[in-house]
Amino acid sequence: MFNLIGSAINGVKHALGGLYQVKRGLETVAMHTWREPTTEAYPDKAPELPPHFRGRLALTVNPETGENLCISCRQCERVCPDKCIEITANKSTETNKLELIDFKIDHGLCMFCGLCTEVCPTYCIINTNDFEMADYTRSSLIYDLKKLTLTQEESAYYFAAKEMPLPKPKPAKPAAPAAGAAAAKPAAEAKPTATVSPKPAPESAKAPETTADKPAKEVEKKESPSTDTPSVN
Amino acid sequence: MKIDGTVVRGDHFSGNIAEIRKFAVMSLSWLTVIFVAVWGVCWALGIFIPMCLANSSFDFAAILSEVCKALTPIAAVLVFIPINAMFMVLMERRALALFTRRNGPNRVGPDGALQTAADAVKLLLKEDITPTGADALMFTLAPIIFFAPSIFGALPLLAAVTNNHKLFQIVDLPTGIFYVLAASSVPVVGIVMGGWASNNKYSLMGGLRSAAQAISYEIPLVLSLVTICLLAGTLDVVSIAYQQSGGLLNWNILGGGALIGLNKAIAALVSSSGAPFAEVMNAYYPYGWLSFVGAAVLCMCTVILFGVYLIGACAEINRIPFDLPEAESELVSGYNTEYSGIKFAIFFLAEFTNLFIVSTIAVVMFLGSGDCPLPTWLNPLSYPAVYEPLAKALSPVLSVLINDLHLINPPTFWAALWVIFKTYSLIFFAILVRGTLPRFRIDQLMDFGWKRLIPITLVIFVLVAFARGVINFHV
Amino acid sequence: MTIQTKLPEFKTDEMVINLGPQHPATHGVLRLILTLDGEVVKHTEPVLGHLHRAQEWQGQNRTWFQYQALIDRVDYLSGMFTSWALSRAAEVIDGTEVPRRAEFLRVLCAELNRISSHLLWLGTYLIDLGALYGFPFYPFIEREKILTFFEEISGQRMMYNYIRIGGVQRDPKAEWFKKVEEFTKDFPKRVDEWEAIVTENPIFLNRTKGIGVLTKEVAQAYGVTGPTLRASGIDFDLRRFKPYSVYPELKFDVPVYNKDGDTWDRYMARIQEMRQSIEIIKQVLDMIPEGEIMSKKQNAGLRIKAGEGFAAVESPRGILGCYITSNGSDKPYRFRWRNPSFSNLSVLPPLLEERPISDIMAIFGSLDIILPDVDR
Ligand code: SF4
Ligand code: SF4
Repeated sequence: MFNLIGSAINGVKHALGGLYQVKRGLETVAMHTWREPTTEAYPDKAPELPPHFRGRLALTVNPETGENLCISCRQCERVCPDKCIEITANKSTETNKLELIDFKIDHGLCMFCGLCTEVCPTYCIINTNDFEMADYTRSSLIYDLKKLTLTQEESAYYFAAKEMPLPKPKPAKPAAPAAGAAAAKPAAEAKPTATVSPKPAPESAKAPETTADKPAKEVEKKESPSTDTPSVN
Repeated sequence: MKIDGTVVRGDHFSGNIAEIRKFAVMSLSWLTVIFVAVWGVCWALGIFIPMCLANSSFDFAAILSEVCKALTPIAAVLVFIPINAMFMVLMERRALALFTRRNGPNRVGPDGALQTAADAVKLLLKEDITPTGADALMFTLAPIIFFAPSIFGALPLLAAVTNNHKLFQIVDLPTGIFYVLAASSVPVVGIVMGGWASNNKYSLMGGLRSAAQAISYEIPLVLSLVTICLLAGTLDVVSIAYQQSGGLLNWNILGGGALIGLNKAIAALVSSSGAPFAEVMNAYYPYGWLSFVGAAVLCMCTVILFGVYLIGACAEINRIPFDLPEAESELVSGYNTEYSGIKFAIFFLAEFTNLFIVSTIAVVMFLGSGDCPLPTWLNPLSYPAVYEPLAKALSPVLSVLINDLHLINPPTFWAALWVIFKTYSLIFFAILVRGTLPRFRIDQLMDFGWKRLIPITLVIFVLVAFARGVINFHV
Repeated sequence: MTIQTKLPEFKTDEMVINLGPQHPATHGVLRLILTLDGEVVKHTEPVLGHLHRAQEWQGQNRTWFQYQALIDRVDYLSGMFTSWALSRAAEVIDGTEVPRRAEFLRVLCAELNRISSHLLWLGTYLIDLGALYGFPFYPFIEREKILTFFEEISGQRMMYNYIRIGGVQRDPKAEWFKKVEEFTKDFPKRVDEWEAIVTENPIFLNRTKGIGVLTKEVAQAYGVTGPTLRASGIDFDLRRFKPYSVYPELKFDVPVYNKDGDTWDRYMARIQEMRQSIEIIKQVLDMIPEGEIMSKKQNAGLRIKAGEGFAAVESPRGILGCYITSNGSDKPYRFRWRNPSFSNLSVLPPLLEERPISDIMAIFGSLDIILPDVDR
C-alpha cells in the first residue's frame, strides 16, 4: 500500500517535473518571437562579402593606366587542380615578350580554390565578390578574356580591398595589339555580359566588364549590358 | 553539467515589432476574408434566397427555399474548409518563422499573404501519380475517406459556435458530441487504406502506426469528453455551450459547472440585490466543506481532463509530438509518401481541418464556446451592455441589416468572435508545440496512452461521478 | 468433420527494408539494409561507398599545393581539421617549425570549427528526433556566424584551405578577433537556451536515455573515437593524451561520462565540448602572440622532404589521422587517411540490434557521422 502511494507520488512528481520542463521549452521558444529575424533579404539586398571572398575569377588591369596585368607566365594554368584555365599567348617578334591573346576560364569546372590567385606574380588573376554566375548552358560558363577583364575602377577597388601592392608603372605601351587580337577571336559567341559586377564596387556597379581593352574613359556607364556589347569592338 | 532551473529568457528584446505586426495584419485580414465569405454564402443561401422566394408564386418555391436552408450548413463548411486550411498553413509557417527568427514566406502577395493560395494552385496543377503496383481504387479512395468526416463531423458544432443561430439549428443533434466523435474516428481508415494501397513499405508502416495510435488515443480522448458530458448531463453541444455562458467561472474547464454557485453568489454580493451570498452558496453547496472539497476536486479534474483532451487530440490528428504516422526521419513521409498532386492536397487539407475541428471541440466543450471570459458581474462590456447603446446609435443603418435583411445577428456575431479568438489561440499553441517538442517513439506513445492517460481518465471519471453528488449543478 | 481447436498459424516474415541512400535522415548517402521483424530491427548492414571519391588516390596525383585545397572536402563540416592533419603530417616529415602565432590561429580556427560542426549536428539531430520545425534553426543561426568568420579569413564558408603546411594562410585583422570575442561572450547564453529547450525535455529524455548503449568494451573494440567514445566513459582525447600544437598551454576540461554511454550522454558530451571550446577560444584570444604566420613558402612548387610521417588531430568526430609517404618530389608518394566516421559508423549494427525502427535515427544521429568522411 505504501509502495503504491509512494509510486503514485513519484509519478505525480515526475509528471509535474516533465510538464515544467516542457513549459520551459515552450517559453524559451516563444521568447524568440521578440528577436529580429536573421534572414538575409538576399535578392533585395546584396550580402556584404569580405574582400577575400573566393567568388568568380577575373583579371585585373592596372588601375592607373588600364593595361592588362597578365604577363602570360602560365603559373595559374599550371597550378589549377581542375585544369580550367586556358591561356593563349605568342611571343611577339618585336619586343621578345609574351603577348596575351586569349585567356579562358571554365567556371563550370572551377572549384574556387583560389590557388591560381595565390601564385600569380602580378596579382592579375583574382577572386571577385561576384557569385551570381548562373547561366543556361555550360559553354556560357567559359569566360574569355573580354568577360574576365575588370574595369579600372573595379581593379582599383580590389587592389585596395585585398591590400595588394599596386603594380609598378610599366613603360608606356599601347594595349592595342592585345585588343586587336581579342577582337580577332570570335568573341561574339560570348553572350552579352549579363554578369553582375561586384557589389561593393562604388560607381562602377553598373558598368559591364567587357571594357578592359579600352581606356575606361571611353566607356559610358550604361544601364543595359546588352546594348553595350557592340560598342566595345 | 550545468542546467539552471529557471527559464532562460531572451536577453536582447531589441524588438521584432515589424514582423509581429505583419503577422497580426496578415492573420486579421485572412480571418476577415474567411468569415465574411462563409457568412456571405450562408446568408445568401439560407436567408436571402428564401426571402426572395417567399413572395414568388411558383409552385416549388417553398420546397426550394427549404432545400436552400437545409444546404446552408454544408455550404458553410465546404466554403470554410479550403480557405481556412490555406490560412492555417500560412499562419503556421509565419508563426514558426517568428519563433525561429526567420521572415517566413514573404514573396507572393502583400507580405506573403497569398503564398498558400499559390501553393494550393500549384498542388492542384501537379501531375497525379499512382505508383506501379498500387491498388488504384483504394489509393484514390483513401484521401476522400480521410477528408469526408471532417466535413460532416463538424456540422453539429456549427450551432454551438454561432449561439444557436436558426440557420444551423437543423444540424443540432441531441447527441451532437457523440456524432462528432464517431465521425472523427473514421479518418484513420483512410490512412490505413492509403498506407496499404501505396505499395510502399514506409507507407504501410505509417498507416499501421496510425491505426494503432488512433485507437489507443481515442479512448482517453473520448473518456475526457464523456466526463464533461457526465457533468453537463447532456450530449447536446448547444446545451453544453449554453450551460457555460456567464464568464470564466462557469466554463467546463473550471469544474464543469461546479463554480456556477460561486459565480452566482458573487454576482449577488456585487449587485447587492436578490438573494444574499450565504443563501446562494447554500443552495449550490449544501454539504458545507464537503461540497467545497468536491468543487476543488472537480476543478482539478477538469483541468487535467483538458490536458488529456489536448494530448489525445494531438495524437488523434497526428501532430507533433505524436506525428509518428508521417515521421519524416524514420518513415520518409509515412502514409502519404507516395501521394502527390491533388490527393496529397486533400490529405494536407484534412489534416489542418482536423486541427481546427479538435480546437473547436475544445472550445465548445471546455472553454465556454462563444462566451466572454469575464464574469457577467465584472464585465461592463458584456453583450447587452455594449450592444444596446451601439444598436441605438447605429439603428438607421443596422436595423436594415439586422431586422430586415438579417445580415447581422448580433448574438451570433458576438459569440462567433469569441469562438474564433479562442480556437485560433489553441491552434497557435499547437504551432508553438510543434516548434518545440521532438516526437515520441511508437512504443513510448502506446505506453503513455495505455498506461498513463487511460488510467488517469478512468480515475477522474470515478472521482467526478462522486464529487458531482455533493454539489448542486444548474439549480 | 474435425473441430479446429488451434488458431490458424500466422505466417510472419521478416521484412527487408532499404533505408537510404535517398532518405531524408541518413545525413548523406548511407544505405542501411534493415531486416525488420514488425518494427524491430533484427539485422543491419550498412552499405558504404556511395560517396567514394578516391581522396587518397587523388592526393597521390596532385601536388602538395593542389591537394591542400582539395582536402577540406573529406569532412566538409570540419575542413580545418583535415587541413590540420595533413599539414601536421607533412610538417613531421619536413621538420618544419610552425610559427607560434600560426599555431594559435590554428587552434582558434579549429575550435571554432569544432563548435560549428557540433552545431550542425545538434540541429540535425533534433530533426532526426522529430523536432523538425522550430529548434533546429537556432544552432544554425549561431553556426552562420562562425561561417562568416571563416569566410572573412579564408574566403569560403566550408572549403577553407586555411591551415597550410608550415602555417596558416592569412593573418586576420584586429576587428576579426573582436568579433570572435563578442561571439564567445554571447554563445554560452545561447547554449543555455538550447539546453532549456532540449536537455531536460521529457520526450527528449525518453527518446535518448538508455537508448543505444555503447559499452566501453564495444567502443574500444570497434575503434570508436571522439565524443562518442568519451560519452562511453573512456578519457581519450588527443588534445590531452598526446598534446599537439599549443594545447598543453591551454586549460580546458574534456567532458567524460563515467559509465556506458547512451544517446543522451553523447548529446551531453557534445554540448559540453562546445562550452569547453569556447573556453579555449577565450584563452587563445588572450594569449595569441604577434609574429609570423607562415614558415614555408606557399607556391606551386611546394615540396616536402622524403620520408614517412603520421599525424593525428582530435576532430569533432574523433581521431583524424593522416599517414604520408613522401619521396621528395612535389607530389606525395602515398596517402592514407584514418577517418573517425568510418570506425564510428561500424559500431552501428551492434547498437541497432533489437531496437525499434524509431531508434535507428536516434542512435545513428548520435554517432555524428558524415558520409564523405566515411567513404572518402
Ligand atoms: S580557383 Fe582553383 S579551380 Fe578555379 S581556376 Fe583557380 S586554381 Fe583553378
Ligand atoms: S599567373 Fe597571373 S600573370 Fe601569370 S598567366 Fe596567370 S594571370 Fe597571367
